[in-house]
Amino acid sequence: MTELASRSRRRGLKTWSAFGDLGRRPSDYEIVTHHMNHTTRPGEQPLEMGPHVRGNVWLRTHRDGMRLVVPDWDAFRDPDAVTYSTYVTAQDDQETYVEGLLERFDEAGHDEGLSDSALGLLRRVLAPSRFLAHGLQMLSSYVQQLAPSSYVGNCATFQTADQLRRVQLAAYRTTQLRLTRGTEMTEPGERWYWENDPAWQPIRKAVERALLEFDWDRAFVVTNLVTKPLTDLITVERLGAQAEAVGAPLDALILQNLYLDCRRSRRWTFALVSFLVAADPGNRAVLQEHLDSFGELARGVLDAAGRLLEVSGGQPPQAIVDTVRSAWCDMLAPHGLTAPRG
Amino acid sequence: MLLNRDDWYETSRDLDWTFSYVDPNEVFPASWSGAGDVPADAWQDWEEPFRVSYRDYVRIQREKEGGVKAVGNALSRAGVFEKLDPAHLASAHLHLGGTCMVEQMAITMQSRFCRFAPTPKWRNLGVFGMLDETRHAQLDLRFAHELLKVDPRFDWTLKAFHTNEWGIRAVKAFFDDIMLNADCVEAALAVSLTVEHGFTNMQFVALAADAMAAGDINWSNLLSSIQTDEARHAQQGFPTLAVLMEHDPERAQQAIDVAFWRSTRLFQTLTGPAMDYYTPLEQRKMSFKEFMLEWIVNHHERILEDYGLKKPWYWDDFLRSLETAHHSMHLGMWWYRPTLFFKPNAGVSPAEREWLREKYPTWERDFGYIWDQIIANVQAGDVPATLPETLPVLCNVTHLPIGGACAPHELAEHKSEYKGKVYRFDSHISKWCFDVDPERYADHPTVVDRFLAGDIQPMDLPGALAWMGITPDVMGDDVYDYAWAREYVNA
Repeated sequence: MTELASRSRRRGLKTWSAFGDLGRRPSDYEIVTHHMNHTTRPGEQPLEMGPHVRGNVWLRTHRDGMRLVVPDWDAFRDPDAVTYSTYVTAQDDQETYVEGLLERFDEAGHDEGLSDSALGLLRRVLAPSRFLAHGLQMLSSYVQQLAPSSYVGNCATFQTADQLRRVQLAAYRTTQLRLTRGTEMTEPGERWYWENDPAWQPIRKAVERALLEFDWDRAFVVTNLVTKPLTDLITVERLGAQAEAVGAPLDALILQNLYLDCRRSRRWTFALVSFLVAADPGNRAVLQEHLDSFGELARGVLDAAGRLLEVSGGQPPQAIVDTVRSAWCDMLAPHGLTAPRG
Repeated sequence: MLLNRDDWYETSRDLDWTFSYVDPNEVFPASWSGAGDVPADAWQDWEEPFRVSYRDYVRIQREKEGGVKAVGNALSRAGVFEKLDPAHLASAHLHLGGTCMVEQMAITMQSRFCRFAPTPKWRNLGVFGMLDETRHAQLDLRFAHELLKVDPRFDWTLKAFHTNEWGIRAVKAFFDDIMLNADCVEAALAVSLTVEHGFTNMQFVALAADAMAAGDINWSNLLSSIQTDEARHAQQGFPTLAVLMEHDPERAQQAIDVAFWRSTRLFQTLTGPAMDYYTPLEQRKMSFKEFMLEWIVNHHERILEDYGLKKPWYWDDFLRSLETAHHSMHLGMWWYRPTLFFKPNAGVSPAEREWLREKYPTWERDFGYIWDQIIANVQAGDVPATLPETLPVLCNVTHLPIGGACAPHELAEHKSEYKGKVYRFDSHISKWCFDVDPERYADHPTVVDRFLAGDIQPMDLPGALAWMGITPDVMGDDVYDYAWAREYVNA
């Protein structure tokens, strides 16, 4: 024992031993992200508890039982290399910009000057979108909690936070419009549209159904490859374009800014898809199979996009559907994936 | 003009809708929400204990990040760390190895709130919790990584939870349970209310004060900055407790009583030795017992009273344990020092012993003679006699060594039989934790159970050390190379 102990000596390390032979100095992002999931030790239960407790059964069933094959989940990297520090710095800048917009356009009487059709678009689509964002927030947090690697989990954490940003900005604009336009804005109310407007229903259905996908790979696909990219295109990107076309520049600019978050989410999502496809030859088929299983939901969302965003002076409904469908296909195609057929 | 937060905040949390395409009970299964018998509309009364907007959050946190970084940069240039007392370093190793991964786990716990909590108000607050905990894990990692060049033990900040080291497994067994296995309600009571709002106050405030006194301004600053976040998000436990007290007070009482005892045992292991033995004598502010009495006992009693809960049934035994349990734990940890990934300070030089006698009037009677024997062995050049030859028996609830949990040398056997297996405990209180919820602890072998089952080969201490991931470059040894024992020769 003393012999063992006496061999102890002070010797510095250059970086975490967990990197093994990295062959270079790790980045700050890697230093604070690497190998921070302790529940994936080979041969051990995920949690330091008996095999029959809820947490272990859940992780074994819904994470470890998935069909994606990945030899080393810690090899994935977020192309944006987001850390907590870079996230709050970047988002503070974005929020400062948006705050400036809100102040400037309020002084210019933006909301008083909105046409009926512009106000209708905001009342029918922008205001109820906070329910959608809350759904995406729940879905994103689930992607985090079962993620097999901290590199993936942390991306989902920031995506979750992005959704709360969107919820609060939608609530802010809704409140402003209510104060300026009164009953024109409050009747019949955002929740009514979200629950009853036929154009919203396919989106609500997709969110509700997605919330029942507990296997991690299916949850990732239905959230990050189907529901979020499609609804981001429709209710952020296209809505912004429609808002601009009908003379609601404040909302157009806010939505353009929110779309930066959507694009960051898409960058890590498709970097992960690319990583998965490269990790094992069977993974592409698994992803495609999952995508296909959500085909009906996706088609519903796409088909309703035109009706949801229809407004005189804006892009015509069919053109909206085509724009969104082609943008979505363009995301999937480079990875050998196709939008669900049928 | 910009709106005030309170103008729009209500709308931002008005997010409930009526599910019509799926069954809401499947979306929010009771097994994760923890809603249990609480009626669905009761959660309408759940009120955020604080309000924060995303806009304010990123602005304030960006400033805080800048502040921590600025101090860190200035100090790393000044080489402050290399000048610190080596015993103080043990606190840093222990704290970082024992809690950095817990911060990362807490992201997932908060994420569970975001997904499954029974009200959107709570689900929204969970987002800030996720971000906060990401910050804490990353601050710890960045801080420790910077120090790898001076000490490889900081590698255990990241590595510890990927090993089988016995103390880390005990920490993991507790936090895996209350953070990652618990439903939202239980996690809020056990983690937010009991651990974060109670015990981490002490861990962070006390360690920050000690670190500052020891000259480790960088770490002190980091701990204090983390504490400002903890103090905010720990409040999530209160509204949950308020709802539960209306509808299911027995569940609240039991969850809190179990969590309080398990936290006590863990902090007797992590914080007790750090405060009363590793912190250099001249820099000690309060003893562990004093801190427990002021920060935990008063605080916990007040919360219990405010919400109409009873004191835990074991309260008197808990108070009694404050006098001795962490001294037993310290003695055991020092004795088993080759199984640690840091160098513990024995902390019993003549001067330190005088401090211990003053703070703990029975210390000399209870522990003095054991240390006297250790001192005699060291002075006789027989260090091997101060080292272990076997492994201790571990408790099936706390996974900590059995012996001395409530009083020194209390070796009465506490065991239960469940489904044909015998489980052993460090105290009658841990036995109670098991008996009220045996499925939670059953079929989970301790390190020693695994050793006896032949999972660890070769079946000797070096085999166990290798299995625990203890390598020669981090293996624990007396931090002052027994200089304190030699002081007695001249005394």
